[in-house]
Amino acid sequence: MLKQEINELLTQTGPGTPMGALFRQYWIPALLAEELPENDCPPVRVKLLSERLIAFRDTEGRYGLIDEFCAHRGVSLWFGRNEESGLRCSYHGWKYDVTGQCVEIPSEPDERQSSMCAKIKLTGYPLVKIGDVLWTYMGDPRATPDLPQWEFAHVPAQQTYTSKRWQECNWLQALEGGIDSSHVSWLHSGGLNSDPLFRGARGNAYNLADRKVFFEVVESDGGLLIGARRNAEEGHYYWRITPWVMPSFTMIPPRGDHPIHGHFWIPIDDENCWTYSYDYHPVRSLSAAERQAMKDGHGVHCEYVPGTYRPLQNKDNDYMMDREAQKRGDTFSGVKGISMQDASLQESMGPIVDRAKERLVSTDSGIIMARRKLWRAVEALRDEGVRPPGVDVAHQMVRSAAMVLPKDQSFVDGCGDALRVRPGEKHASV
Amino acid sequence: MQRQPTLLSSCARAATAAEAGYRISVPEFTRRSSRVIALDEQAAAVVRRMAGQRWGGGHFLVFESAVPDDALLRLAAGGTALLSEELDGADAVVMVATASANAEAASIIGNACAARGIMSAGLVVPAPGPVGEVVTALRPNAMVLVVLRDAADIPEVLSALRV
Repeated sequence: MLKQEINELLTQTGPGTPMGALFRQYWIPALLAEELPENDCPPVRVKLLSERLIAFRDTEGRYGLIDEFCAHRGVSLWFGRNEESGLRCSYHGWKYDVTGQCVEIPSEPDERQSSMCAKIKLTGYPLVKIGDVLWTYMGDPRATPDLPQWEFAHVPAQQTYTSKRWQECNWLQALEGGIDSSHVSWLHSGGLNSDPLFRGARGNAYNLADRKVFFEVVESDGGLLIGARRNAEEGHYYWRITPWVMPSFTMIPPRGDHPIHGHFWIPIDDENCWTYSYDYHPVRSLSAAERQAMKDGHGVHCEYVPGTYRPLQNKDNDYMMDREAQKRGDTFSGVKGISMQDASLQESMGPIVDRAKERLVSTDSGIIMARRKLWRAVEALRDEGVRPPGVDVAHQMVRSAAMVLPKDQSFVDGCGDALRVRPGEKHASV
Repeated sequence: MQRQPTLLSSCARAATAAEAGYRISVPEFTRRSSRVIALDEQAAAVVRRMAGQRWGGGHFLVFESAVPDDALLRLAAGGTALLSEELDGADAVVMVATASANAEAASIIGNACAARGIMSAGLVVPAPGPVGEVVTALRPNAMVLVVLRDAADIPEVLSALRV
């Protein structure tokens, strides 16, 4: 359980909130690069941390993320014209560059243009393409951190794939689903043998043979390492290690030679978030079949309502619940697909779950520790200006791992360097 | 796939955000009965400090010694009790240990919990010395092990578990 005031502290991320200030310390995913596919393409509305913004790519290929509304009469610039190195409001023709600087006010005399424009600048945030993602930093420009170094965004394009989906609940309950490894043996049990991005791994047999999971939670510089162990061969445990890096990055332990996958949860506002889902292989290209499976919504990805990033299975259609499949055991919950199995249950908790009413058990220790670390970091930032864990790019150089280790060996010692990025080396997997 | 029709009156969409967040405000459970047991003297100091705070009914204890088929515990509030007595009616046990914890204590408590089907957890708190050995000792005896960097987190962890 969590006191109501702490629940509010951790779940509210708008401007002026302590948790919002924490999120504004990081480079975060703002949108997928595919959403701005070419110079002068249509602008995209982006709501992040409760701020309404507009993203565009100008004539020179520069990316911008600026206040959605024109400084003149408050019109949405989504209706604007992206042309000649700027975004022009379609109401009276005011024009802005990628930094939000006003560069043209057609109604003003030519001789007054520059002095008038100089005084008008919309809020603007940097927008940088790394991998398949456009990243932004919404904090104090004087404290801009180094660009993100997540491995999935830095491997060659043919080795990585990222999707995103709208999730209709607060970011924290979505993140907590990513930290809670104990649900995998239940909710996702059907997918281990059928999903093309999971099946066939030797580790799956350990998962299915031993549903009583034991956990070890170890603090790391960037967040937590959550180890889940099951029985393996005599004298050995099968370990699955999930790193969580603050504020909202997780990486799921791999299975066999399948690509590694994971998530970022980014607040849209306090009742919605974007779930970014990545898949990558550190040393080889994704096969055509793997990439197609990801596009088809397998693994951690999903199918969409055409033309949107809203999952095809959503709360309007009860996630296409299939009670017959549930009864047959094809799926545990009746909902198809790993990602929507998670999202359906997390959204069912309500937009912001009341954590004062929950009844946690000791297997929820990863969640308890993550909340505690977030809370501690929020207070340290607010009260003493301490830069939170996860901003330092060294904290981002992590990998998940799946290994079989002797029973008397700790997973931290046993996995060793396998929990760090080793460029050109394969991930540790079973 | 044959599905029942999704009706406005029955699907999740029918709820506003406020309605979706509403929960019946009646306690759905009785008080949890937890035992927090220190396995060594440094951990005992931590447990004694915590015992002075307000809790939901948890007992705070220190492992004293093994006795035949049982163990002797010291209550933080004073007095002694047998492990078997304390486990009667307990539904969770949290072992608190530092690097100097004794492996026998973890084993006795872990086995007693396993025999009674009681959930056992281990908290390794920061103290001088490497924690590798105590983690190894606790691993077979605790369903969950948390290695902490800051002892200030312990009350929060116990509070979250409604000790």
